This record gives sequence, structure tokens and C-alpha cells, in this order.
Amino acid sequence: MASRGGLTWLMIIVILCNAFAAAAGLALFALAIWVAVDGYKLYPISGVSGKDDIFAGAWIAIFTGFAYFCTCIFGIYAARKQRRSLMLAYLIIMFIIFIFECASCITAATNRDYLVGNSNVVKKQMLQYYAEDSTKGREITKTWNKVMQDVECCGTDSPLDWVEYNSTFRQLYGTTYPWPLNCCKRLSSFEVADSQGCIIGQTSTMFTRGCFTHIESVLSRYTWAVSWYGFSVQMFVFFMLLIAMVYFTQLG
Amino acid sequence: MEVYLVLCFICMLPIPAKSITTVDCKPAINESLAAKITINTVILQQPRCCFDNLTNLPCTSNTCEIWLVPAVDTGLSTFDANKASSAILSLSPYPTAFTGSSPANYFLTKVGLQSDFPCVSPSPGGYFRVGADGACSTTNCNGFLPQGSSPSFKYLLVDSVNKTVLAETKWSDSIALYTLKDPGTLGDGFAGRSGAMVVITTLLSVAAAVLLLFLIVVLALCCCGGKSKGSGSVVGSVMGSFRIPRYDTHHLKDPAPYDNPAYEKERKYTTQDTLPKTKATSAVNPVTQDTIKLQKI
Repeated sequence: MASRGGLTWLMIIVILCNAFAAAAGLALFALAIWVAVDGYKLYPISGVSGKDDIFAGAWIAIFTGFAYFCTCIFGIYAARKQRRSLMLAYLIIMFIIFIFECASCITAATNRDYLVGNSNVVKKQMLQYYAEDSTKGREITKTWNKVMQDVECCGTDSPLDWVEYNSTFRQLYGTTYPWPLNCCKRLSSFEVADSQGCIIGQTSTMFTRGCFTHIESVLSRYTWAVSWYGFSVQMFVFFMLLIAMVYFTQLG
Repeated sequence: MEVYLVLCFICMLPIPAKSITTVDCKPAINESLAAKITINTVILQQPRCCFDNLTNLPCTSNTCEIWLVPAVDTGLSTFDANKASSAILSLSPYPTAFTGSSPANYFLTKVGLQSDFPCVSPSPGGYFRVGADGACSTTNCNGFLPQGSSPSFKYLLVDSVNKTVLAETKWSDSIALYTLKDPGTLGDGFAGRSGAMVVITTLLSVAAAVLLLFLIVVLALCCCGGKSKGSGSVVGSVMGSFRIPRYDTHHLKDPAPYDNPAYEKERKYTTQDTLPKTKATSAVNPVTQDTIKLQKI
């Protein structure tokens, strides 16, 4: 009967799609671990502001990625066994994981927009918390010192951020230093190359570009890893589940 | 009498003070430095080649001093009115220059000797920072400018012996200092939605809703019984009973397939897997189950 041959073909398609989705889910798992580990050490910038859902989305994606992997292997077994109860269980579990992964993608993209949509949030945080003697202040100071030295930048949009705006740093050190000494170029012995030149702003002794482009690109990179890759996995799983539902209805 | 009158006239004529030469120089900001303007300091270019063309000076380049006048608003005219005075250096001390009910709005501070600023500079990148001394209290110290004001500057050539002004440059353009902004004014509200976020949110929400809908439909169709639409043909062979959907009755002259009304679809008939494997039950080929072949058992 043609229908029996058709059913076999459908079963093969379902099994192949599940194998591919298992691999994609495992890749999502690995990518989300990379985001959660935060190799660029920029977590305090989102943590202090209270909107750290880029990383929360990454944690959810770790679990959903691995769950996709396991459930798709179960789906291969269920499709092979050609039993309705197994396929139904498979469909329901996949749908639940689908919902969670949707939440992860959406929340990561939304929080990225809040944090780095424009430079105001990051600038305000820098002015308020840099050099402040509180837990948040110490975290922000450490993060900014690392960014300024590694990326060779100063301030959010430019060093003039320190000059134009009032800040905790200005209250503490403003009479002597217009900007932190981390804005200055250093010798390989970590001493400041020319502190007088840095204080008056000689461009050869200090960094003159802003750090916001780097911060924005890193947080965007994390977000697109969780959001866009998660979205592509979701789209594939969506069509695979439609095929699986058709297969489910064909089972006796 | 006329001689007496002429003498009186001569006496009354004010003895002209040695006039102050104005050189064609204008102090300017040192544009190459990042901190050229802050809220209370300014970094100017050095006064090179400004006073070098003057002759008949009572002092040499080793004894002539160069001084700076920062002045705000009315201070420009006040200084110009007082500049010929011999006590000009201490007429407006820095601590009271900008305070009080009617401040002078200018002060004088020493930049250096004229020989420190030769026309051809030995090393590039010379600068003079106005406000370098901070909040100081001596008469001619290089203190902070008033925050947010727009001062103008003028270099002076001063005789170190009798402390009078010999020559001056023109007034610079007024340089607006920054006023300190409060970071609370940075609006950290709605920063705009990126296109990516909109796409991801809408497509995923629609996909989740569609999946839920289809899941409910599939469950309703398949698990709640009743007539099912489009469920396709029955899979698996129906064997072991003569419930056959349609069969040929060979006794008729014009045979037409007979639809068996006793045949019910979707009932759980025994399949080939569940029957005991004897020759009798394996006699009917499940592939061609619609045609019955009589065989010897």
C-alpha cells in the first residue's frame, strides 16, 4: 500500500530531523555555556544595573539546549517504535522546551536593547560608580580599569565624559586628575608613561577614544549568540514539530 | 604774564606716560590637548614671537617678564582702564578677583621670562595651563577660573624692575568653560527597540501560538475518538477474520466489488504480529489481503 510506504518515508524524515535537532541543541548548549562564562568579564555592567537577562537567557539556553538534545534522541526512539503514546509524550515535552527557549531568546534581545541601545546607561553607571567605595562601586571600577587598559580607551564616548559631567571620581580626585590614570598609556613595567602629559591630555600619552563601542560589541555578541542562534534552532524545531504532528496523526 | 600762562599750561599738561604697545598677537587655546578646556582651567599656547620685535625696552629678554591676564565680562574694560598704573600687578589679587559685591573680574599671573619663550621653540608641544595652582590664595597665583564663565586672555610684557606693563597682546576670543552637568540628567529610559528584537519576538510568539494550536487540534482529533477527517488508510494488515472492506464476488456475471457493511474501520483487529504463527493463518498474504486465494490447508 502506498500509505505504508509513505509512512516509512515520514518516519525516516522525522528521525533525520530529530538527529539534526539533537546536534543543534547540543551546539546551543555549548554556545550558551560560552556566554555564561563571560570571557570578556563584562558581567558587572549588566549586573549592577539590574538588567542581566542576557546572562539569564544564556542559563536558560544551557538547559533547553541539553533538553533538546535528550528529547530529540527520545524522539528518534519514539518515531522508530511507531507508538502513539511515545510520540505524544515527545510532542508535549518538545513544546514545553520550545516555550522556555522562546523566553530565553526574547529576554536576551530585550535586555541588550536596554543596556546598549545608546550610551546613556553605561555612561551614567560609570560616572556614578567608578571610584565609589561600595560593592557595586568596586565591581564597576575593576571592570572599567580592565576595559580601559585592555582596549586602550577612556570614558564612555570620549575622555570628555569625565570633564563634562560630575562624577564620584571628580568628587574624590577631580582637583588633581581630570580622568583616571587608567586612561594613560603605560610602559611595559606598568608605570604610567607620562603622568603630567596624561593630566593635560596630550594625545600621545593617553587613550582618546571611548570604550562604549567595545562594550556594545561584546554585549551584542553575547546577545546574538543566545538570541539569533536560539531563534534559528526554534524555527527548525517548529517545522520539525509540525512534521512530527503529521506523523503522529498517521500512526494507528 | 604770557610766559606765566604758558608755563602754567605746560604744568597742567599731564606728563604723558610711556604708552603701552599693543602687539599683533592673540592668545589661543592649544588645540592638540584633550584637556584644553575643563570647568575651571584652560590650556593656552605659549606666547612665542609675540614681543620679540619690540625695541627700546628698558629690560632685556632675560629680565622682561611675561604675565597673563584672564578676565571675565567687565574685567576686560576694568583692566584696560587700569593697565597703565604702576601697581597693576597687585591691584586685583586672585582671592578677591571674582568674589564680592563688585569684583574686578580679572587677575594677573606670571607666565615666565621672555627668554623662556624664544621664537623658535626647541621642543614642540609647549603649553601654559591657566588654573594650574588650583584654589590658591596668594596675590598673583595661577588659580582656578570661575566655573562655567567665558574668560578672555591677554599676555603682557612687564618690566621686572618697576613692575609696569610695557607691551600687551590683543584680547583673545572668549573661551567658554564647561559647566558641570549632573549625570542624573542622562536619560536612561527607552533607548529604542532594535529591529532584531522585534523580529525575534514576533516570530517566536507566533510560532509558539501556532504550535499550541496545532497540538490542541491534533490531540482533539486523535485522542477524543469520533470520526476523524483525513486520517488516511489503516496501517497494518487486518487478518484472522473475514472482515474485509470490499471483495469480489465471482459468481456474478458482471462482477463489481462488494462493499462489506459489516466492516468497521478503526477497530482493533488482530494483526499479523499477534496471531500464532501457523500455516493456516499465514496462508493469507497481508499485502494482497483484498483478494482471497483459496489454498489447501
